[in-house]
Amino acid sequence: MTRRFVFTLVLLACLAVGLFCVAYPIYVIRPFRHQGARELAVALVVTRFRPAITVIAAIAAVLAVAGYWRVKARRWKRVLTAVGAVLAVVLAVLARVNVYELMFHPLVHPSFTAAADVKLDGVEKVVAVRVGGEARAYPVRSMSYHHVVNDVVGGAAIVATY
Amino acid sequence: MWRREIDGLRLTFHLAGINNQNFIMRDEETGTYWQQISGAAISGPLKGRQLTLVHSDELTLATWKSEAPQGTVLNDVAEFTSDYAKPDWDVRMKRAPTVLNFPGYDLAARDLMLGIQAFGASRGFLYERVIKEKLVKDHVGSEPVLLVVGADEQSVRAFRDRIPGIEGAADFYRITGKPSGALLLDAATGSEWNFQGCAISGKAKGLCLEPVPMLKDYWFDWRNYNPKTTVYGK
Repeated sequence: MTRRFVFTLVLLACLAVGLFCVAYPIYVIRPFRHQGARELAVALVVTRFRPAITVIAAIAAVLAVAGYWRVKARRWKRVLTAVGAVLAVVLAVLARVNVYELMFHPLVHPSFTAAADVKLDGVEKVVAVRVGGEARAYPVRSMSYHHVVNDVVGGAAIVATY
Repeated sequence: MWRREIDGLRLTFHLAGINNQNFIMRDEETGTYWQQISGAAISGPLKGRQLTLVHSDELTLATWKSEAPQGTVLNDVAEFTSDYAKPDWDVRMKRAPTVLNFPGYDLAARDLMLGIQAFGASRGFLYERVIKEKLVKDHVGSEPVLLVVGADEQSVRAFRDRIPGIEGAADFYRITGKPSGALLLDAATGSEWNFQGCAISGKAKGLCLEPVPMLKDYWFDWRNYNPKTTVYGK
């Protein structure tokens, strides 16, 4: 087994790990697809650990390419391995991105208006809570977009979901 | 609705995924993933923990304002307002495909249900049927419950069908057209009760029925997370 072959093998393994970490959760946790309990559990574990895993894979890929470049090789092969290393780094960056967290906009610092000053029509649906004597209403029209509102009502930290 | 504190740690939630069309939340403090409908931690450092339910009601704004004139309402966020649900949102959602279907109860996957998970049992009530009947007297597990439709004929609340201090289930009847806002009359004490479940006249005046948490949800989602649910009238 030549050193070049070993470096190539390490690079391909790193790319495979990176691709799996990025693609598998997207494949499993996509809308309008049935999620099985086991595959979802695996996808969530991968999502949790992939930032670290893909960084390790990217570093290993860069080191493998550096090693490859020290060995005599054709120029196009060197360029190809460099592209592979760049791809491993890109995958490490993508692994830090959750598509859902980009698409949806939960509220972390919500603001409110007194009931008497609200302009919405009376037939609008709201989800209402009363905590510690304080009453809060979340209109369904906006909750069905934001889905998650991190709030404090009556001194209690709650998350309103819809 | 959930309390977002675990062991004194305040959590900040984001929408991080989907599990058979019920969304998954991630808290940024621990990186744990939580199922929205159940409040259960399904993956991560807090796996197995459970958020505490906060009682909520789905009401019309007019009904809520009449009960909570001092309350506050979530503001729109200007940059997203154009994406908020349009008036026909319910109708459009009804046509959206589902990945789960549970035949056997003669219910469509996206039929809207009022689900109660209490007293060691789960029971679903078809929303349209409750609206039509206006007052539903039923049981969840062995506990008698009431589902009451508000004067707006859209808002629904559930209560334990027991008057504090009175043995057995109370015998409630629906009344309408009362300027006092009374919606129910009970045969046991002859008292009138409002939509908040509180007696506003009669021997029971000042007493309130115990609210029962209820979730408005699509049939497929309710059934998926409540596999042993029974269905009212089925």
